[in-house]
Amino acid sequence: MEKNDKDPDHDDKSKGDEKGDVVSDAHLSDDAHQDGSNNKDNVDVVGNAETDHQDPGDNNDDKVSQGEEAPEIRQTLESLSEELDQFLPTLSLHMEEHKDCTEEKGEDGYFQIPQFVGKFLDLFEEKLSKYDSGEPKTVWYQDPEEVSSLLEAVDRVSKLMVLLLNTKSCLDHHESLINHAGSIQQRAMAFLEDEFRIILEESVTKESVVVTDDSNSQRRSTADQQDHQNDAAVSQDQDQMLVPECGDQEIEYPGYPEDVVVVLRKIAEKMKAGGYGWECREVYLVGRRNILMRTLKQDCEFEKVSIDEVQKMSWDTLEREIPIWNKTFKDCSSLFFPGELKLAERIFPGDEGSLFCIVTHGLAIQFLGFAEAVAMTRRSTEKLFKILDIYETLRDSFPAMEQLFPEELRGELRNEVTSARSRLGETAIHIFCDLEHSIKSDSSKTPVPGGAVHPLTRYTMNYLKYSCEYKDTLEQVFKSHSKMEREEEEPVESGNSAFASQLMRIMELLDGNLETKSKQYKDIPLSCIFMMNNGRYIVQKIKGSAEIHEVMGDTWCRRRSSELRNYHKNYQRETWGKLLGFLGHEGLMHNGKIVKPNLKERFKSFNATFDEIHKTQTTWVVNDEQLQSELRVSITAVMIPAYRAFMARFGQYLDPGRQTEKYVKYQPEDIEDLIDQLFEGNTSSSSTATARRRT
Amino acid sequence: MPETEYSFGRSLLSLRRDQAHLMDQSAFPEPMSMEVELDSFQRQVAEKFIDLNASAADDEILSLEWIGKLLDSFLCCQEDFRVIIFNHKSQLLKQPMDRLIEDYFERSVKALDVCNAIRDGIEQIRQWQKLIEIVISALDTSRKQQLGEGEIHRAKKALIDLAIGMLDEKESSNTLAHRNRSFARNKDHNQHIGYIRSLSWSVSRSWSAARQLQGIGNNLATPRASDVMATNGLALTVYTMTSILLFVTWVLVAAIPCQDRGLHVHFYFPRHFQWAVPVMSLHDKIMEESKKRDKKKKGCGLLREINQIERSSRMLNDLIDSDNFSLTDEKSLEVKERMQELMNVCEAMKDGLDPFDKKVRDVFHQIVRTRTEALDSLGKLQNQE
Repeated sequence: MEKNDKDPDHDDKSKGDEKGDVVSDAHLSDDAHQDGSNNKDNVDVVGNAETDHQDPGDNNDDKVSQGEEAPEIRQTLESLSEELDQFLPTLSLHMEEHKDCTEEKGEDGYFQIPQFVGKFLDLFEEKLSKYDSGEPKTVWYQDPEEVSSLLEAVDRVSKLMVLLLNTKSCLDHHESLINHAGSIQQRAMAFLEDEFRIILEESVTKESVVVTDDSNSQRRSTADQQDHQNDAAVSQDQDQMLVPECGDQEIEYPGYPEDVVVVLRKIAEKMKAGGYGWECREVYLVGRRNILMRTLKQDCEFEKVSIDEVQKMSWDTLEREIPIWNKTFKDCSSLFFPGELKLAERIFPGDEGSLFCIVTHGLAIQFLGFAEAVAMTRRSTEKLFKILDIYETLRDSFPAMEQLFPEELRGELRNEVTSARSRLGETAIHIFCDLEHSIKSDSSKTPVPGGAVHPLTRYTMNYLKYSCEYKDTLEQVFKSHSKMEREEEEPVESGNSAFASQLMRIMELLDGNLETKSKQYKDIPLSCIFMMNNGRYIVQKIKGSAEIHEVMGDTWCRRRSSELRNYHKNYQRETWGKLLGFLGHEGLMHNGKIVKPNLKERFKSFNATFDEIHKTQTTWVVNDEQLQSELRVSITAVMIPAYRAFMARFGQYLDPGRQTEKYVKYQPEDIEDLIDQLFEGNTSSSSTATARRRT
Repeated sequence: MPETEYSFGRSLLSLRRDQAHLMDQSAFPEPMSMEVELDSFQRQVAEKFIDLNASAADDEILSLEWIGKLLDSFLCCQEDFRVIIFNHKSQLLKQPMDRLIEDYFERSVKALDVCNAIRDGIEQIRQWQKLIEIVISALDTSRKQQLGEGEIHRAKKALIDLAIGMLDEKESSNTLAHRNRSFARNKDHNQHIGYIRSLSWSVSRSWSAARQLQGIGNNLATPRASDVMATNGLALTVYTMTSILLFVTWVLVAAIPCQDRGLHVHFYFPRHFQWAVPVMSLHDKIMEESKKRDKKKKGCGLLREINQIERSSRMLNDLIDSDNFSLTDEKSLEVKERMQELMNVCEAMKDGLDPFDKKVRDVFHQIVRTRTEALDSLGKLQNQE
C-alpha cells in the first residue's frame, strides 16, 4: 500500500528534469565523448533515489502530504511496466534489424530510448531501497502481489539489459542508461540473493515433520492467504502430530510450504535469466548443506566423527554411535536425500541432479568413511552384530540412495560402498572365525564345580544363537567375502553354505573342547553329568532358535540326544550300579538260613555308600529342571523298587527295635526324598535357591 | 653417528641372511631376494623423490600438477611396500616387527582423516572457482568497452566473498569490520560470514590438521640397529614408508585448505637414507614458501593455484573501486590482465582438480587396502599357529 503513496511523490519530484535527462543522454552520447557527462547523468539519477532512500524524515512528510494528490497516481511502477512491455518488442525488433550492421557507423542505427525507461528504473530502484531499509512491515515474499510485482520488475530490467547489450547502437549511444540499468539490476539481484538465502533458511515450517497427505494440501491452500503462514503451518503440523495413526503418513522434508517453493523457484528463474544464476546456485548450495547438516543433527543426533576418532573410541561409545549412523543413513536414503533431490529439481528445473550432488555427495562419502572406520577398529567378538548392522544398512538402503545420483557419480559411489561392504564383510568373517580360535584356545584348567554348564558353552551358544538372527546376512557375507579366506583350506562342501559349515565347525570344536574339559573331572559320574549338562544346554539352545535349528538340522539334534542318553546310562551305571550291588541276594543266605553278620554288613555298606553319594551329588549341579527331574526319576525308578524288595525280603531278620534302628537307616520314602535332593548344587543348604534360579 | 649405524645394519643384514634362511625356509625362497628387494625399495623411493625435487622449480613446486605427481609417487611406494609386507608376513609376527608394523598402521589410519579433510578442501576450492567465474563473467568487456556500476558491484561482491572464503577461519571475524559489501543489510553480516564458509563434512569442528600431522609423526625415529638386525632390514623399510607418509600428508596439509592447518611438525630424516636428501630439500623449499606467504596472515593453503587466485583477486579488488567505477585506460588494461590470470587458473583447475581429487581418494584406499591385507594375512598366520 505504501508503494502507491510513495510513487507519486517520486514522480512529482523528478518529473521536471527527467525529460531533459533522457534527451541530453541521447545527445551527449552522440558526441561520443561521454565520460564526464555520463557520470554526471548517472549520479543524478542515482542521487534522486538515494535521497529518497536515505532521508526517512522526508519520506514521512511526503506520506502525509501526498495523500491528497491522488491524480498523479497514474505513473507508477505498474503503469510504466505496461509501457515498458510495449516498448521492449520494439527494441527487440530494432536489435534484430541491426544485427548484421555491427560495422555500420553509429549514427545510422540510432535508436531513441523513451524517457519512461529511465523513470521505470528510478521507481524500481526506489522500491529496492525501501526493501533494503527494511521499511515494509510485511514480508514481501509472503504477499503474492508483491512477489509478482518485484519479480516482474526484475524480469523487465533483465530483458531490457539483454536487449540493450545486444544492440550495437544502444551500446554506442546509451551507455549511461545501460550502466544505470545494469547497476539497478545488480542491486536487485543482490537483494534477491539475500532474500533467497533468508527464505531458504527461515521458511522451513518444521524440518521433517510427520504430516498426512491430506493436511498437506489443506495447509498449502490456507497458508497462501495467511500473513504468518509459518506459524500457522507449524501449529497445523503439531496438531497433525497429535493425531495418532492417520493412515498413510508421509514425512515431509525439507518441509517448505508450497508457496515458498514457488517463490524460490521464481527467484532462481529470474536470477538465471538475468545472468546471475551462479550466485543463486551458490547460495542454494551452501544453504542446503547447512540445513541438511543441522537436520541430521537434530533429527538423528548425527555428528561427524573422524576415522581416527572412531579408532580411539571405547566400544561403549562406538556402540552408541552405530545405531545413530544406521538411522541417519537410512533416513538419508529414504527421506532426506530424496527430499533434497526433489527440492533442487523444483527450484532449479532441468538441473538434473547436479546441485543435489554437491549438496549430498560429501555427506555420502562421510557416511562411508565411518563404515570403513568401524571395520578398521580392533576386532573383537562383541562387535560382530553391530558390524553386521552397518553391513545390512548399506546393503538395504544404499540402492535407493544410489538411484538419486546421476549416472556418472553412481559408479564412484558404488565403488566406495562395495569397498566399505567388503571391509565390513571381511571383518565380520574374521570376527566370526575368531570365535573358532577362542574356543580352540580356551584351555582353562579348573573344572566347573558340580559339573555345571561351562561358561564357554554358554558364551558360544548364546553367540551362535544371536548370530543366527543374522543368518541370512552372515550367509551372504560368507558367500561374498570369504573367497580369500578359505582358498588355502579345505573346500566348502557343496550344498552347504560357508556359514553353515563354519557353524558346524564351531560346534565340533566346542564338543571337542568340552570332551577335554570333562576329563578334568576325576569322578566319572561327574564328568557324565558335566557332559549331560552342557549337551542339554546346547540342544535346548538349538531347539529354542528356529534359525540355528534350521542350520544344524534334525539329524544332528537326534544324534545329540542319543549321545546324551548314553551319558545318562553311563552315569546311572557308574553311580547307582554299585549301590544296587549291595541289594543283591547272593551271600546273604546259607543253607536256607540268613547270615546275619553279612546282612548287617550289607545294610551298613548300603547306608554308607548312599550317604556318600548323597553328600557329593547334592553338590553337583543340574540346572535344567527337566534334566534334573529325568535324572531323579530314573534313579528313583531303579533304586526304590530294589530297596523295597530288599527291605521286604530281609528287613524281618533284624530284631525289631534297637537292631533295626541301627541298620535300617532309611525307609524307601526316605531314600526317595534324599534322591530328590540330588543335583541341587548345594554347598550349604542356603545355596539351593540360587542354584535353582540359574538356568 | 647414523651413518655408521646404517652400514652396521647393512652388514648385519648380510650376515643374518643365511641364518634367516635356515630359520624360515618358506619366507625366503631365495637367500638373496629379501636384501635385493629391500634395497630396491629404498632406491625406488629415492629415485622418485630426487625426480620430484628436480621438477620442483620455483613455480612448479606446490602446483596442482606437482602435488599430483607426489601422490603418484606415494602410491607407487605404497604399492611396493604392500608387496614387501606380503612377502615377509611371517616376519611381522615376530618381535620387534610386530610392534613396528602396528605402529605404522596406526599412523597410516591417521592419514585417512587427512585425505578426507583434503577432499573437503578441494570442494572448497571448487567453490572459490565458481566465485571467480562470477567475477570473470561480471567483468567481461567483450561486448561493452566500459564497465558499469552494476558489473563492478557484482564483481566486487564475488571478490569479497572469495576473500572471506579464503581467510583462515579464525581471522574472518576480524575482517568483518573491513567488509564493504555494497548493499548488504547490516543485520546479515555475521550470518553471511558463517553462511559462505563451506562446511567440512568429514571432520568435526574440533578436528585439527596440525594435530593430526603431529599424530602421524609422533616419536618417529630411525630404527635401532638391533631392530634393523632382528628384522633383516625390514624395520628400515617401515621407517621409510612412515617418513614418506608423514611427508606426503604434510605437503597436502600445506597446500590445500583444511581445518587448522599447521606445518610445525618436526622433520628430521638422516641423510644416509638415499631419499632423505631430496625430501629434506623439498621440505625446506616448502617451509620457505610458507614463511613467505603465511607471514602476513595464515593463509588457506600454499597450493600455487590458490596463491595465484589470492594474488590476482586481491589486485583486482584493489583496481576496481566501487565508489569510482570508471576505469582509466591504464587501469582497465590491468584489469584485463588480472582477469586473464584468473581465467588461466580457473582453466588449470578445471582440468586438474578432478584427477587430483581422485588421487587423494586412491591414496585413501591404498592405505586401507595395505592395512587390511596385512592384518588379514597376519591373522591367518596367527591362527595357524
